[in-house]
Amino acid sequence: MRSASLANVVDVAAAPLLSLSEVTKRFGGFTALSEVSLDLRPGEVHCILGENGAGKSTLCNVIFGVYQPDGGAMTYRGAPYQPSGPADALAQGIAMVHQHFSLVGDMTVVDNVLLGRGRGVLNRKECARQLARLGEDYGLPLDPFAKIDDLSVGERQRVEIVKCLIRDPQLFVLDEPTAVLLPDEIASLLAVCRRVAASGRAVVLVTHKLAEIKEVADRVTVLRGGRTVVTSDAPTRDIDMLVRAMIHGDVAELDGAAASTLGLGNVEPVGRQPPRSKVEALQIDGLTVRDRQGVTRLDNFTLTVDRGEIVGVAGVEGNGQSELAAVLAGMVTPTSGRYYLGETDLTGRSPKEITAAGVGIVSEDRHAVGCVLGMSLAENIYLNRLDEFTRFGFLNRTALQREATTLMQRFDVRARGPGAPFSSLSGGNQQKAVLAREITLPNLSCLVASQPTRGLDVGAVAAVYGHIRDACSRGIAVLLVSSELDELLSVADRIVVLYRGRIMGTCAADVSRKAEIGAMMAGQAQ
Amino acid sequence: MSWELFAVFIGSSIRLAAPLLLAGIGEMVSERAGVLNMSIEGMMLMSAFASAVGAWATGDPLLGLLIGILSVVPVALLQAFLSNTLRANQIVSGIGINILVLGATTLAHREIFGARSRAEIPGLAKIKLPLLGDIPIIGPAVFEQVWLLYAGIVLIVITALVLRYTSLGLAIHAAGAEPKAVDKSGLSVTFVRYGVVLLAGLMAALAGAFLSIGDIHTFTEGMTRGAGYLAIASVIFGKWRIGGTTLACLLFGAATALQFQLPALGIGVPNALLIMLPYLMALLAVGGLVGRQMAPATLGEPYRR
Repeated sequence: MRSASLANVVDVAAAPLLSLSEVTKRFGGFTALSEVSLDLRPGEVHCILGENGAGKSTLCNVIFGVYQPDGGAMTYRGAPYQPSGPADALAQGIAMVHQHFSLVGDMTVVDNVLLGRGRGVLNRKECARQLARLGEDYGLPLDPFAKIDDLSVGERQRVEIVKCLIRDPQLFVLDEPTAVLLPDEIASLLAVCRRVAASGRAVVLVTHKLAEIKEVADRVTVLRGGRTVVTSDAPTRDIDMLVRAMIHGDVAELDGAAASTLGLGNVEPVGRQPPRSKVEALQIDGLTVRDRQGVTRLDNFTLTVDRGEIVGVAGVEGNGQSELAAVLAGMVTPTSGRYYLGETDLTGRSPKEITAAGVGIVSEDRHAVGCVLGMSLAENIYLNRLDEFTRFGFLNRTALQREATTLMQRFDVRARGPGAPFSSLSGGNQQKAVLAREITLPNLSCLVASQPTRGLDVGAVAAVYGHIRDACSRGIAVLLVSSELDELLSVADRIVVLYRGRIMGTCAADVSRKAEIGAMMAGQAQ
Repeated sequence: MSWELFAVFIGSSIRLAAPLLLAGIGEMVSERAGVLNMSIEGMMLMSAFASAVGAWATGDPLLGLLIGILSVVPVALLQAFLSNTLRANQIVSGIGINILVLGATTLAHREIFGARSRAEIPGLAKIKLPLLGDIPIIGPAVFEQVWLLYAGIVLIVITALVLRYTSLGLAIHAAGAEPKAVDKSGLSVTFVRYGVVLLAGLMAALAGAFLSIGDIHTFTEGMTRGAGYLAIASVIFGKWRIGGTTLACLLFGAATALQFQLPALGIGVPNALLIMLPYLMALLAVGGLVGRQMAPATLGEPYRR
């Protein structure tokens, strides 16, 4: 909850800084925003809540002038507002922190801040002084002459924020800024939002995490399918209504994991049976990976996963998870160490042999490794077993499509049909198809899933975890790599935390230990 | 080797490095902003031809130089349009331009000069530097060069200062490393990239004019003989830095100068091998001696929002 000193002083009757009236935006035949109306008032933190694909980012981009609306009107400070592009929006006092950073890695903080501002000879010293002042005013400490490449993700985001604040914007838009942050970094970001709003500016915060809304929002607008569903002036009171508005369902029906993603602390994780047997399925013994530059990416990783157990690998991205998953999938040969499935040594085997041994792999980058976008759904769903459908070297498409249709129904993959191009499926359906392929391997005994819910909406997250749990209850060992701590806490039995390629610690997946795990993710040994 | 021969070697290394240096620095700036111009070769050839014709027709080498520069503008604009607006493959489009220019200049050369090839053409003046030029032996050999070379050195220093200390320099660097950041800061990536291609064209034009009206005072068909590609190689060898590129150009210049020096010293190396030397060095430089991780992140990739 907000501290009293930062209590909001929003005058409800104040004239809105920016108002949108029935704004519509189409991309080809797809309507991303449909008659969205919204008022943003000076001094408020206004949260935009919605699932993936609800139109939140499109809305921000319309406000920031990246897209021009196809219908409706905007009024800014009492005058019609039709930005011709980001430059125009910036000139008028509207700044935006995008979901993905756009910083130049080999330039310093000061140079990144100076990019695009002013002409002629650079005054780096003056800029560094301004940064120091902003840092004090808003609680954003930064070393102005550090290189971006040397900064943590949280610090990089501070640079993005400072880049906006130095322009002294009246309206400050943040598009899902907390997705990549550690728990304490999120808290300090929200504090910055409060301070910015307290200085009389309007802050728009896009999120799908309810905990953040409780913490910081003065008002909340819910988007669903490109439409405004509801706006609440008292978000903490209306939180249940907001959830229902966002997902059009009852909170109680939500899967525990999905609810945790949303930050619903009051929903208990679905009760799980303890691991059924103590038979070791996956044994990882001292895996170490050094890259071409000789940097150790994964350092002596040792872990066993029992049959029927889900072990979560937590950590901020880039701390060795990708390397671990790549080694287990046979895509990278480890520098040292071995890993076994039961008695079989799988170290350094090819992906084909690993699949044949009974390891299912859901890779973190579904588009690059997990599927072939240009091929059909049926071909993708049986990609690792197309041999079974060939006779005399020719593919029996009828049988393939028939079998694929069965799998589509079982895993609720929604598409025009088994022949639909894989690229035409939504992210959630693509992931369900990949999961269907890996989980239905005939002799599956271990599943390695990396970031299986990235970019998926709540419904798809629930479905993915439903299938993973189901596999687990059939006695399959599951190694689940995810940067979403809340999801791991509700799905996994045990959590190991990776930091700079090392295991910082292991503990039971218990919500009460979240702070401890968060500290380990930040590199503090317990 | 006598001191005299050594001084001549240094002098001719610098003279032979000059066109590489002019074109190479322009290309380096362009690559820093993310645009690879394989057409540097064609631009040089275009300017070498146009400035030779211009100087021959007007009798004034300075007008010739101006005509050479103007002749490259449409070529550079074409390259910029293909690689930024149409987002064409930069290697393919650049080589296409090179072939076009080689054909066009060869044809035009035969039409204009016909059998009277190797016509003497008025060239740019040489200037002896004060003081340095008066040093015995070294002075006349090293410090008495075509004025375009000195102008080129001044341009390189200015380029270095602009890249390091101005907002334009930041924009150029960022356009190659993270064009999104440029776009979101309210600048236009397309504008920056058109600008750098035009700059690369201007520098290539100076380099081409140096070859024809600066150095040998005549035009021969296809006279650049891969100098543009050597300039590109020197950018890679120099790791996209001004100092490195300059050194690489001097090295290639020296390797070329050896062609003339070794026979003079009576060292019996086959001439074909010597002609090959700079290209061989470039191949080694590009192929393996230098890590690729220094390249601007989006080199050769058209920007899409």
